[in-house]
Amino acid sequence: MHEFNWGLLIVVYLFLGGLSAGLFFAAGLANYLEVDGQPAHPRIARMGALLAPWPVAIGSGLLILDLGHWYRFYKLFTHFRWESPMSIGSYLLTIFTLIAFVYAFAWLPEDWRQRLFAKVPATWKQVHRLNVDLSAHRKTIAMAGFPFSIGVGIYTGVLLGAVSARPFWNTNLVAQMFLFSALSSGTAALLLALVLDKRNPVEQRDLKFLVWLDVIFISLELFIILPYLIHGQLSVLAVKQALWLILGGPYTFVFWVCFLGFGLLVPLGIEVYELAPSLLKGRPFHGSRNLALTAAGLVLFGGFLLRYIFVYAGQLSSFHKMGMLR
Amino acid sequence: MAMKKRRYALVIDSRKCINCKACAVACKAENEVPVGNFRNWINESHQGEYPKLRIDFEPEQCHHCEHPSCVRVCPTGASWQRKDGVVLVAEDDCIGCRYCMIACPYDARYFHEESGTVHKCTLCIHRIDGGVLPACVETCPSKVRVFGDLEDPTSRIHELLSTRRYQVKEPQTGNGPQLYYLV
Repeated sequence: MHEFNWGLLIVVYLFLGGLSAGLFFAAGLANYLEVDGQPAHPRIARMGALLAPWPVAIGSGLLILDLGHWYRFYKLFTHFRWESPMSIGSYLLTIFTLIAFVYAFAWLPEDWRQRLFAKVPATWKQVHRLNVDLSAHRKTIAMAGFPFSIGVGIYTGVLLGAVSARPFWNTNLVAQMFLFSALSSGTAALLLALVLDKRNPVEQRDLKFLVWLDVIFISLELFIILPYLIHGQLSVLAVKQALWLILGGPYTFVFWVCFLGFGLLVPLGIEVYELAPSLLKGRPFHGSRNLALTAAGLVLFGGFLLRYIFVYAGQLSSFHKMGMLR
Repeated sequence: MAMKKRRYALVIDSRKCINCKACAVACKAENEVPVGNFRNWINESHQGEYPKLRIDFEPEQCHHCEHPSCVRVCPTGASWQRKDGVVLVAEDDCIGCRYCMIACPYDARYFHEESGTVHKCTLCIHRIDGGVLPACVETCPSKVRVFGDLEDPTSRIHELLSTRRYQVKEPQTGNGPQLYYLV
């Protein structure tokens, strides 16, 4: 029995890191879009900004807990090794998380901010100096965060893709696959937040924007997965044998039915079905709340499964064990 | 005077291996390897069916590669390589992320539960630095393993690699393994 060195904590971390990257990117994008000089999707921009830092913060916590010595995590920052994706990723992740928190702070409503600082003892003057209104700088912070959100989305894939010993991972396509999956997951999380927030009615304009965005990201993800499978089949024996893990091996069902079927094609079908009347016949968009909820839930489920399949199947693949696996 | 350049490596003559596992036991005793973990082991492969069959035994361990991927991926530099080629883990800097274990094409590393760090074959540096052979080499009853310095033209290992045919495992990973198997 092969031992898995990386388990569920790593899967969850990769998913949450990507989720934050996607939330930040989609919300930042929404912040930049305007209609007649007015912000086009202020609610999405605000929701995404306030949600973005939390998944990555929790994920980083899980990552630290997974270490053999959790309290030694600081050593990641006393060294810089440009050849190690994990070293680069640690810095990327930290900078991104900081920017995401600053961005969330810039979107905090005035009364929330005052209430937050009211809880800080008055003698902590240095902390109170941070009580500033950053709302005028939202676009600048979003722009500064874009490369880091993309970086985090890509890095989670590079972490696996850079390992030449594991043929299942060792292709540059994994990085793009994880990036588009991250962006799609973030968009789906925003869709979920939008329809679950019952205090405010769902604006069709917001719903349409997110559904559109998700269709683009899922399509891009599909266009990476197909070449991954085709290229793998046409590649050297070790890669071909590694792909057997999802083409007849133990991860076949979870990959094709759960991930590709329910996690990607079904939500894509739902979203295209929702968009089709407005797209093809020029009718006004009327998104169903329940369908949006279903699609978003499935996309998140698929995003998690993608990481699950890659982390586990990848560790089973190797240059010398594949013959024994069959 | 300039230090003499050294490059330690192992030559393995698998055909002499009788699968007694004395190397694995000697290593465990020498390096206090926990139950369930191994720094060296013997691969068994079967061919044919009775009465026409053969079984091959092939000792394996860390290959102390020329370009070790475990060293490359380590985020803290805890995985490192000495100038004489020995790949080691500096325990004080190891955070236990296990990235090196995943990056090793030979699965030659293990996670030490008690210390929370990654351990591996050290080629018994505590012995070789004092001029004593690694425990696995010294104990092998059929002299499967030959340890030596590739840079020393008078060494047995140098002679074997000059005069015998050999192969290395999984050279396609680009790691440049330094465990030479005589064929």
